[in-house]
Amino acid sequence: MEGKIIVVTSGKGGVGKTTATASIGAALALEGNRVAVIDMDIGLRNLDIVLGLENRIVFNIVDVVNKRCNLSQALIRDRRIENLFLVPASQSDNKDVLTTLGVQRLAKQLKSEFNYVIMDSPAGIEKGFENSVVAADEAIVVCTPDVSSIKDADRVIGLLYARSITPRLIVNRIIPEMVVRGDMLSHEDVMDILSIDLLGLVPMDDQVVISTNTGVPLVMQNQSLAGQAFRRIAKRINGETDLPIQVPTMKTGIWSKITQKLGLTK
Amino acid sequence: MLNGFMKKFSGKKSSKETAKKRLQFALVYDKLEINEMTLESLQKDIIEVISKYFEIDTKSLQLEVQRERDHELSALVFNTPILCVKKNKAYNAQKI
Repeated sequence: MEGKIIVVTSGKGGVGKTTATASIGAALALEGNRVAVIDMDIGLRNLDIVLGLENRIVFNIVDVVNKRCNLSQALIRDRRIENLFLVPASQSDNKDVLTTLGVQRLAKQLKSEFNYVIMDSPAGIEKGFENSVVAADEAIVVCTPDVSSIKDADRVIGLLYARSITPRLIVNRIIPEMVVRGDMLSHEDVMDILSIDLLGLVPMDDQVVISTNTGVPLVMQNQSLAGQAFRRIAKRINGETDLPIQVPTMKTGIWSKITQKLGLTK
Repeated sequence: MLNGFMKKFSGKKSSKETAKKRLQFALVYDKLEINEMTLESLQKDIIEVISKYFEIDTKSLQLEVQRERDHELSALVFNTPILCVKKNKAYNAQKI
């Protein structure tokens, strides 16, 4: 097997990298792929908790790279989604503990065992970022429609280009009401500024918080708009390149207004 | 909805337009590391030179730095309507 390594990165923290990694990884596995999601945020691990797998950690990525265990010992198999595996980060080390060479070696092994390897990069553009992108075949840049996130995304895109990686963009946490009002940059505005290919648009969704509260992957909740968006993104990654990109829209119907007021829907 | 109407009538620019302008500006100048002052004095000099040969509308001219992602190059774009050619200047230049 010769899988693909995809890094999820953003520059700025808190824009939804980990949620995107977990959701895309889970969705790709639901599509029938063998998927490994890798937490590269050494010292600040979160991907395990977002996926609800925190109680099952024995070994972590630092152990594998430093040969304290085999890859198979560190891989945590998700019991709800077939073919989804996690390599957790270490909580006690810092980001300098991994070497690019060690990561490359691990990446090679992962590629031979999985269809897709999704690397959750830490925020920033230092060593942790370097390690996350060193073995990447493709890159996904996540940003939200605000100035600081877009500015950082631009910087990261430049760094990826310098490594001959052409990234694709996910605009996360779009609030259609604000876009209509002219108080939030639309995805067209973001594309104008960053001028890279779009991979998907994800609306702001309460279900993301609920999903991380419970540790149930977002893409398993059918009513979640963000979850649906991530499932379409995964399909696009998985070869359905002509699947149209859906622009998040406002719910305008009287019924949705009523149910919204009653708290029945979001 | 009401907010949108209020904004239209008050003629205030939407905050996203401001965001976009600021971002585009910030990204270009971050990369080139030039400031607005340099650009202004460049604009002044360019106007001076062009005015020798053309009559130009100094109010509607635009000077901007455009980025090309793929080539990692920036282009200086100077846009100005030409009102007319200054006859004798052009003639003199030819003579030389």
